[in-house]
Amino acid sequence: MKRVIVVGVGALGSHAVLLLRNTGAAITVVDFDRVEQKNVLSQFHARPHAGKTKVEALKQTMQFLFGAKIEPNPNRLTADNVRALLGGADLVLDCLDDGDARRIVQGFVRANAIPCLHGALAAGGEFGRVVWDEAFAIDDASSAGAATCEDGQHLPFIALTASCLAHAAATYLRGGDRLGFSVSPGGVLRI
Amino acid sequence: MNDNAMRADEARLNVTWAGQNGDLPDAVPFGATEGDIRQWAAEAIRTGGIAGIRVDGNVNLRGFVVDRFAPNEARPYNLIQIRPKTPFGAK
Repeated sequence: MKRVIVVGVGALGSHAVLLLRNTGAAITVVDFDRVEQKNVLSQFHARPHAGKTKVEALKQTMQFLFGAKIEPNPNRLTADNVRALLGGADLVLDCLDDGDARRIVQGFVRANAIPCLHGALAAGGEFGRVVWDEAFAIDDASSAGAATCEDGQHLPFIALTASCLAHAAATYLRGGDRLGFSVSPGGVLRI
Repeated sequence: MNDNAMRADEARLNVTWAGQNGDLPDAVPFGATEGDIRQWAAEAIRTGGIAGIRVDGNVNLRGFVVDRFAPNEARPYNLIQIRPKTPFGAK
């Protein structure tokens, strides 16, 4: 059984997990964050789970709705524990929103030749990227407090990008093909 | 744009601005500088030269990222994209 590790289960990661449930892969989710009420507007997390860790909330939701088992890991990814968290993965999905954490993921997967797909969103639902690591350059936020997608207005666009991410992951797991996409509100472009 | 007629040293330039997306009508040099790419894209947006993007005289592409992609089996031509930064996963 292939092992997929999803790092970050906010807007992109939580929806990607939802869509990967039929791949037959063993899915582990890594995130230290907890569900807040506002998260339910843009993430695959539900109101009754407010206060729980996102990984435990997602585990319960996947089990309750689909009978799907995922492995929760509620740790913050750091340079010190990255090997313990990501080692042994057949595929890593980076859905983080922090440039420093992305650099830790990128350094580890490159050093260990682990396939890695990155999902990333622009502020305001203007653009999304699904990129394999060899072509992925990390964008840091231009300024603190920049708008994110958390008001729920861009949920369909977030879901579209997450669908592209899950499709690329599932395609890779099925046959090894590596698809990448750029996503704008006007459509999806294979890159 | 006829993608099949594009030379190996040319690229399709795809632009995202204000949530809209489109291509320049003509190929650009694949090795063009980021400054040139920003200038061509901004000028095209100012003048309505990109189908799919509304004319915007106040366009400002500073801080936008330029990506270059070599051909692959699904896209047999070079692609350059100019796009907003994507720092979010998103929380």
